[in-house]
Amino acid sequence: MFTRLLWKLLHASRGRLVIALVALVSGAAVISALLNLQFDIERKLTQEFRALGANLVIAPSHAAQSIGSGADSPALMDQAAVMSQLEKMRTQEVVAAAPYLYIIAQVRTKPVIVAGTWLDEATKLAPTWRIAGSPVASREDATSCLVGRNVAQQLKLAPGAQLELSYLGRTARITIAGVVDVGGAEDNQVLVNLPVTQDLAGLTGQIGLVQLSVNGTPKTITSYAQRLATSLPGFEVRPIRQVTEAEGELLSRIRLLILSMVLLILVLTGLCVLATMAALAMERREDVGLMKALGGSISRIVGLFLAEVGVLGAVGGLAGCIAGVALSHWMGQRVFGTAISARWEIFPLTVALMAGAALAGALPLRRLGNVKPAVILRGE
Amino acid sequence: MFARLVGESFVRNPRRKILTAAALVVGMAVATATLTVSLDVGDRLAREFRSLGANLLVTPESDTLPLEIGGVDYRPVDEGAYLDEASLGKLKTIFWRHNIAGFTPFLDVPTVISVDGVKVHTTLVGTWYEHAVLIPDGTKFKTGASATHPWWKVQGRWFHDDANECVVGAALAVTNPGVFSVGKTINVAKSETAGRAQSLIVTGIVSTGDAEDRTVLAPLSVAQNLSGHPGKTRQLFVSALTKPADSLSERDPKTLSAKDYDRWFCSPYISSISFQIRQVLPGTDVRAIRRVADTEGRILSRIGMLLWIVTLAALAGAALAVAATAATTVLERRDEIGIMKAIGATNSVVAGIFLAEQVLLALAGGAIGFGAGVGLAWILGESVFGTPSSLRVVLLPVVLGLAAIIAIVSSLIPLRRAAHFQPAPILRGE
Repeated sequence: MFTRLLWKLLHASRGRLVIALVALVSGAAVISALLNLQFDIERKLTQEFRALGANLVIAPSHAAQSIGSGADSPALMDQAAVMSQLEKMRTQEVVAAAPYLYIIAQVRTKPVIVAGTWLDEATKLAPTWRIAGSPVASREDATSCLVGRNVAQQLKLAPGAQLELSYLGRTARITIAGVVDVGGAEDNQVLVNLPVTQDLAGLTGQIGLVQLSVNGTPKTITSYAQRLATSLPGFEVRPIRQVTEAEGELLSRIRLLILSMVLLILVLTGLCVLATMAALAMERREDVGLMKALGGSISRIVGLFLAEVGVLGAVGGLAGCIAGVALSHWMGQRVFGTAISARWEIFPLTVALMAGAALAGALPLRRLGNVKPAVILRGE
Repeated sequence: MFARLVGESFVRNPRRKILTAAALVVGMAVATATLTVSLDVGDRLAREFRSLGANLLVTPESDTLPLEIGGVDYRPVDEGAYLDEASLGKLKTIFWRHNIAGFTPFLDVPTVISVDGVKVHTTLVGTWYEHAVLIPDGTKFKTGASATHPWWKVQGRWFHDDANECVVGAALAVTNPGVFSVGKTINVAKSETAGRAQSLIVTGIVSTGDAEDRTVLAPLSVAQNLSGHPGKTRQLFVSALTKPADSLSERDPKTLSAKDYDRWFCSPYISSISFQIRQVLPGTDVRAIRRVADTEGRILSRIGMLLWIVTLAALAGAALAVAATAATTVLERRDEIGIMKAIGATNSVVAGIFLAEQVLLALAGGAIGFGAGVGLAWILGESVFGTPSSLRVVLLPVVLGLAAIIAIVSSLIPLRRAAHFQPAPILRGE
């Protein structure tokens, strides 16, 4: 009986219900899209911030350096010990990790900084590099190098040319694969694979530092740095403060900004749904009067309407959610170039929110409980 | 008569209007707040991004290759070219001078430091912390590492830019325990054999998180005297507020038409600001620090786009709220419409009365909503960025017009239905 009445009610007033349903669906779509965005924005932004490059550095600890040595003779680390440990601790949050060994070598009698690294990882570390020519794809390739823009300009070098590096009597001949425009210190450097500098300097298996780019919130990065530090005793793991501090500050600002905007719209959309449902409920005055006159108890009548409204809210919410997921997918593509993945939590949350708002809108019906049926039926 | 009908409707049954008016107020308040924030957000976030530090690097054009590892230049100090410290004030005379948030010169000098008989080889970095720079128009501009390197933290206090003081890098202090403590006097010389030593008082231990942690930082004038290059500097870091790069800024200014060139010159792109710096500091090479500039540009343009989408969502929500209430008010007043029609009102008169009511409501609701929205934006700006958003009066007509359009459009559909009402069945109560 209850369900039949409910069905009749829903069926009979299709026209009005469509208006309410449109409000519910569009409200739910906006809410679920924004909630989806809010949950995903941090991950998206931290990925964007990785364009800043390395945010963690592993270096020999201060204690490993003897008193009196300044910057001129930096201590070295054992490559195998550090890199194998790092490989074990590598999670998918680590975007790139590259060891570095710097030497000041001579190129045609001019001193130039030669950075030995893993060129495949180093290019991943710095996505803003612009390479004219071709990148060096393998970290084993000891015959190709990248030269910084300023080095290429001053020494008149172009991709394909040969370069002779000499250091303490040893020399290495390598081919320039590409000229790299960095807008930073690397513009003044020659970038080669690690074995080249190690052989030149006679420091086989030694590195000066490791740079890491770790994805995540400031909290996860700090905890990763701490875990690294405990597994690498005797080394110093330090965040690059310029990057981590600014990133943390900016992230929290942007998150707060988006959150407050989303909350505003949530309240607005909730109110809109509430108003629609309230209007719908008020139209039902006459039905209430009639049902009461026929002997229905007020709790049963109100229950019937609440069920009607609840069903509407749930259906509208669910349909809106699907639309909202599509909307957030589009937003992700448009803004970040990658889709915002749908999160299942959104569905129950939005449906509950919609049903809640719809039910809250129907609450004024309860006031009709003390209205005399005769008065309403007379149309007063 | 028409005006009286409309007026009576407001006086006689104000409760019915309250719902629509409330929806308008809330909707327009949210619309105003989101619009205000979206319009402002570029400037404000650009300012926040300055916590990343400098985004432009000025070096002498004819310079030799810097031997720089991790920000410290290991070149002999007599090699290479220099910038004139005295001309740096010209930076605040370019077209976008107000977008220059700060600039800091650096001069690195390899030195030998002797304290209590201990000799330490390290680099002395000459810079400004909060230096009052003389601008050609006669005013002074305070700038230095405090503006371009805000993440540098000091224990103790920073040096005064005109005193013989210095701060010592944290790593250097740790590797030489007990040698560099705050309050000590250290003697700095260019080499072990150089006779002239400069004594400096250590005022703090600085932590930079980079290679400067292994150096001693001192006022620029100290480094100049020590190196024998008074009035010179080697590098200049500039922190500028910029606009994200777009298709115009990526093009070579030489190929632009006169009109595009003006538009490029008068937009605070990083490329136009560096072009203007080169104009006032001839003989220099001005390069964008792309790591910072590109990240900033990408995030700024993304957040900007995102906020416009959110603003659109807010506008859609506002429209929905107003439309829903406007539609129901027409339906609720079927009886009234029935009577009007029964005594001879045409459809257009009925529609006119309703639309006039809606527009009046929209204007009143929109105005109140605008006021509330300005307050909301103020609170938002205050809580997110620490400074309240500025009032934009331009938005008032926009918001009012929007409210009127939404109110009219949303009543049109129910009014079209009302046109088909037959008075008799309505009056019979069917």
